[in-house]
Amino acid sequence: MAVASGRWVALSRPLLGAAALSSAVPAGEGQPREASTRRRGRTPQFVRSQAPPRTERMAVDQDWTSVYPTAAAFKPASVPLPIRMGYPVKRGVPPPKEGNLELIKIPNFLHLTPPAIKKHCAALKDFCTEWPSALDSDEKCEQHFPIEIETIDYVSAGASIRNPKARVVTLRVKLSNLNLDEHAKKKLIKLVGERYCEDTDILTITTDRCPLRRQNYDYGIHLLTVLYHESWKTEMWESEKSEEDMEEYIWENSRSQKNALDTLLRIKVSENVSNVTEEELLASEVVNDYRNSVIALKNEGETEVNMSRYKESVKKLLNVKA
Amino acid sequence: MLRSLRGLVCHPRKLDHGYALHTAAKDCLSSLASQDVQALAEGPRAVFYTSENDPANHTEHHEGRHYSIPLEEVKAVFPHGLPPRFQQQIKTFNEACVMVRKPALELFAYLKNSNFAHPAVRYVIYGEKGTGKTMTLCHVVHYCSRQGWLVLHIPDAHLWVKNCKELLQSSYNKDRLDQPLQASFWLKNFKTSNERFLKEIKTQRKYVWGKRDSTEEGKPLGEVVEQGLARVRNASDVVGVVLKEIKQQCQLGSFRLLVAVDGVNALWGRTTLKKEDKSPVSPEELTLVYNLRKMMRNDWSGGAVVTTLSQTGSLFKPRCAYLPQELLGKEGFDALDPFVPILVPNYSAAEFESCYRYYRHCRWLQHPRAHTAEGQEELRFLSGSNPWQLERLAGPL
Repeated sequence: MAVASGRWVALSRPLLGAAALSSAVPAGEGQPREASTRRRGRTPQFVRSQAPPRTERMAVDQDWTSVYPTAAAFKPASVPLPIRMGYPVKRGVPPPKEGNLELIKIPNFLHLTPPAIKKHCAALKDFCTEWPSALDSDEKCEQHFPIEIETIDYVSAGASIRNPKARVVTLRVKLSNLNLDEHAKKKLIKLVGERYCEDTDILTITTDRCPLRRQNYDYGIHLLTVLYHESWKTEMWESEKSEEDMEEYIWENSRSQKNALDTLLRIKVSENVSNVTEEELLASEVVNDYRNSVIALKNEGETEVNMSRYKESVKKLLNVKA
Repeated sequence: MLRSLRGLVCHPRKLDHGYALHTAAKDCLSSLASQDVQALAEGPRAVFYTSENDPANHTEHHEGRHYSIPLEEVKAVFPHGLPPRFQQQIKTFNEACVMVRKPALELFAYLKNSNFAHPAVRYVIYGEKGTGKTMTLCHVVHYCSRQGWLVLHIPDAHLWVKNCKELLQSSYNKDRLDQPLQASFWLKNFKTSNERFLKEIKTQRKYVWGKRDSTEEGKPLGEVVEQGLARVRNASDVVGVVLKEIKQQCQLGSFRLLVAVDGVNALWGRTTLKKEDKSPVSPEELTLVYNLRKMMRNDWSGGAVVTTLSQTGSLFKPRCAYLPQELLGKEGFDALDPFVPILVPNYSAAEFESCYRYYRHCRWLQHPRAHTAEGQEELRFLSGSNPWQLERLAGPL
């Protein structure tokens, strides 16, 4: 009997969730009958005993880096977390982690937990030199090394150690560290366009057009030098800069100034006050107030504060009384 | 008696919503309005109504209250000015009740104290969609017409830059385009509202309209307008002449001029019109727009210019735009600068209460839950105290 049952095990598929055969078979005659009924239902006869998952035997303070030493797929039996992922069934919850393809498909960083990173750093320490003790704060770093170069090295198990992504070089520099005057700064910003960030005042140049990292680095430095020198030069055609090219609103010689002066002159004429020159009008406080409010409105956009300021200044300018 | 009338009023509610409700309920409500309505009012009427019908006497004391304009005056002063939904409301309630609000009172104060020897001050009413800018403008127009000013009311400048079936090349200036239909329509309404002035103002030079038509110097302006209505081809030029004459003569001081333009951002935006060779038309190529832009300048004195910004009919502007620079654009802002901006906000708590009471008083809110305090709070929340939303919500109730 035991031999027969062994043969069945060898021939049939294991059935998950079914009880072990030893407990299912009461007598020898019953077995072929039960076996035939089971096989008729196209279910496999033998059930492999299901061992409990490894997670139940994991201690809370175990060494996780040995569970996931390298990048590996998500193994639900090895990760002791009750994760659910996927679209929930109607009025239900997302499916659990057992047999969940969604969790297996996505990349996971279980091999890069903070203790793992610490171990990596400890291993790499032997290949590094000491950080210079004089550079102990960010400001000092920026003061002595205003240009930051960023390069990435790639290591992978494969036939070749080369990686074309390794040739990318990124240069970052703050414009306040460069010696630029007003015109040069505006011209530089116009020349680089999107590479400049206004909030942090950092110019970022990314070069990858050359095949080697050293060549890209040289090209990046060359670009920076050329930009710096070109922005200091003033070409002839720059005098044709028009209002649309301006970066911010300048009130002098604008339509708003003309309108305001026209209106004020007409007011003065109607009051029979003559010999009021434009300079006097421009220097008066009312016009100054108006000028500031218009500049704020155009440069900063329209907010409650700006609009009410503009309203007050126009009321004073035009003598509109409530 | 009252109960049976109430039953009558309840039935139309079940029919359909919105516009149809206006017409169905109109018959029932018009009979109601003739009853002694004051006895049916919930609470004291003074909270939401004031009998002071002259806008000149409106003060902060009247703030939040409705005042009614006699219907004959509505026909005379506003032949084309009121928003269409408000016109339906007038037909339904058989009365034109306008709420007195702070922006309008502010404008009255400015207009009362303005120095007419100085160049005309430009006021721009702006605000989010549906907060009551056009109604504020109409309130100001009513005030000025009561005061005896000449009112130049352009109800919606957007109508002149879109959906124009006929575009003629102008005979006066080859580069410009005429819009005879819009011009004649506006002239007709202008004549209705300003009959008296058209007889008084005389032309100051001779105008030649064609080979046989001309208007001599010294003729009343009414004749020029008749010419425009008779010969529709010249209507746009007639509009230009009318604007020019009025502007010139206003400085002499015999009358005050109010230029009221709704949707002034249309003058400096884009148009959806195309010339015969399918090239787009820019606004200054339209005679009407060109002449109106000349009126918006402040090189004349003896009056005021009150305008509204409107996103509702505007072209190529996002729905959430309501600030002056967004709607006027750079060109418009520079042209109108310096102007006094006036913000029209949503209803305050008191104004909302007043509007709600008015609707209840007119039996417009029929749903039983609308009469409760929770119903009022629900209405306040759903509409966000926005007058337009409130009016739309109260329609099917």
